[in-house]
Amino acid sequence: MKGYFGEFGGQYVPETLLPALEELEEAMLQAFADDAFSAELQAYLSDYVGRPTPLTHALRLSAHYGCDVWLKREDLTHTGSHKINNAIGQILLARRMGKRRVIAETGAGQHGVATATVCALFGMECRVYMGSTDMARQRVNVERMRLLGAEVSPVESGGATLKEATSEAIRDWIANVDTTYYLIGSAIGPHPYPTLVRELQAVIGREAKAQFETLAGGLPDAVVACVGGGSNAIGIFSAFLDEASVELFGVEAYGEGNGRHGASINFGYPGVLHGTRSMLLQDKDGQVCETHSVAAGLDYPGVGPEHSHLAATKRASYRLVTDEQALAAFRLLGRLEGIVPALESAHAIAFLEQYSRQNSGRRVLVNLSGRGDKDVHTVFGGAA
Amino acid sequence: MIEERIRSTKRAVIPYVTAGLPDLDTTGDILDVLAAGGAAAIEIGIPFSDPVADGPVLQRASYLALKAGFRMCKLMERLGSWSARVSVPLVIMTYINPLMRKGLEDSLTALRDAGVQGVIIPDLPVDAGGIFDHCSRIGLDLVRLVAPTTKRARAREILSRCSGFVYAVSVKGVTGQRTSLPEGIDAQVASIRELTTLPVCVGFGVSRAGQVDELLGFADGVIVGSHLMQEVMSGTDPVERARDAFARLMNGSR
Repeated sequence: MKGYFGEFGGQYVPETLLPALEELEEAMLQAFADDAFSAELQAYLSDYVGRPTPLTHALRLSAHYGCDVWLKREDLTHTGSHKINNAIGQILLARRMGKRRVIAETGAGQHGVATATVCALFGMECRVYMGSTDMARQRVNVERMRLLGAEVSPVESGGATLKEATSEAIRDWIANVDTTYYLIGSAIGPHPYPTLVRELQAVIGREAKAQFETLAGGLPDAVVACVGGGSNAIGIFSAFLDEASVELFGVEAYGEGNGRHGASINFGYPGVLHGTRSMLLQDKDGQVCETHSVAAGLDYPGVGPEHSHLAATKRASYRLVTDEQALAAFRLLGRLEGIVPALESAHAIAFLEQYSRQNSGRRVLVNLSGRGDKDVHTVFGGAA
Repeated sequence: MIEERIRSTKRAVIPYVTAGLPDLDTTGDILDVLAAGGAAAIEIGIPFSDPVADGPVLQRASYLALKAGFRMCKLMERLGSWSARVSVPLVIMTYINPLMRKGLEDSLTALRDAGVQGVIIPDLPVDAGGIFDHCSRIGLDLVRLVAPTTKRARAREILSRCSGFVYAVSVKGVTGQRTSLPEGIDAQVASIRELTTLPVCVGFGVSRAGQVDELLGFADGVIVGSHLMQEVMSGTDPVERARDAFARLMNGSR
């Protein structure tokens, strides 16, 4: 069925939004079939975003874990995370659709910064919804967004994190649907967003696959990425889905364990949140749970529907990394490679500890989805 | 039946009450005063953690009801006695996830068994044909929403799978009180009427008797949610608040 990945996905939205989703789908299909759109996107990706990003052979990290580790360096993009790939693509789409106002939700602030950036670049009005808990722990990104001319709206309800910010962005969209483009930041939400975001993030996988072939030869044994909503993961996985020899690992935030985590695929049940059916952390009554992760970008009770499908069909495995393990990996990568990863990406690095135990000598491609400047004060105990 | 009940009620106002605020005993008492006050039907809202179609008042109502310990199983225990006791049709309004958790069809059947006559689900999947068929089979009305942005072909599709009444969403926006009615709502109702013989009720934003008068000039019924819940949440006696606020809406502005 249209917009589904197996039993997951779909469009579960208030009727007011349905025409906007149809309009978006049509614009997306036209753009993807249009060489002029591809050329324009390509030009911005190379001349503004700074693509292709390098593939770094992490020699000291490899020695530490006893397997061969390659890092896809999305931390080196303009704005410092993979979120810009999606933001630049969607803003070009918004412009084609004649929209002048852009809204977005953000957790860690990386998507908010990316959206504020592209709105500044194209002179669009920009409002970013962000939970007040996240605003406190990602203050640097809040200041960056404001510097770029975006209005950052604090969201106080519930746990005041990404889930509430997303709900508030949807409410804004319902009220302003004629003029407003909703620039969603992850591979979540109603169709066509999960497909749109995947296609715009697929550049990560295409580049990494070609770079790996050139630098290392052949295919990696495994591809690893952290999963909150799952956009960086689906972006890098997409190039390897048909390569049966390549194991795919998504790493979920296990937080403090014992019910305080964000591991939707490991502990959730199928459910509907924010317009899509996917694995969802919820109680017996279908009320959505509060989540926890030291990484704001992974602090979300749902997950992109395509990941739920990849888990159900066993094409990808979804593993757990705790706050503590992620924090250790954050420090480790800095000490061994001179790279400070985002706390989100540090979850992917930390997984190597589990992986290398049984896979010594294997070649692993890790998506280093963002840089960690924003997290330094969290790591040093400066924020909640 | 809801459809006949709306047609036969002279001033068809349909109040909305969030279940379990501050507790289910109070919800039951509120149902009684609303029925005694002449409600055409009553919507009982199941609180949800993430009510994306709701404005601040109903978000808060949901939040407070959940915080006060609302449980689905407790509601199910009460529904049977409420529908036996209250003389007007009860309609459940809920986001889809709480119904899906234990299987959508089973949940709908359980509601029917408890005497509920209809359901309103603002985030039904775009293709709700199977759900409508199930509701038809078990004799539960599936009230559908038509928005100001809904195109004619889509409206036709919705209305071919709608029963009880049509819920015309009056504004682009979330639920909440508004001081004036949006322009074009009469034309929106008229265009819905071209596609269905079901009663058309208008909701989202109604808070005054004068607005009810005006809407009933061209619509079959009016739904009032946020205004009533604002009243329920703002006093020490929620039942009295609900009764008085509803009486003001029923008396009209004349």
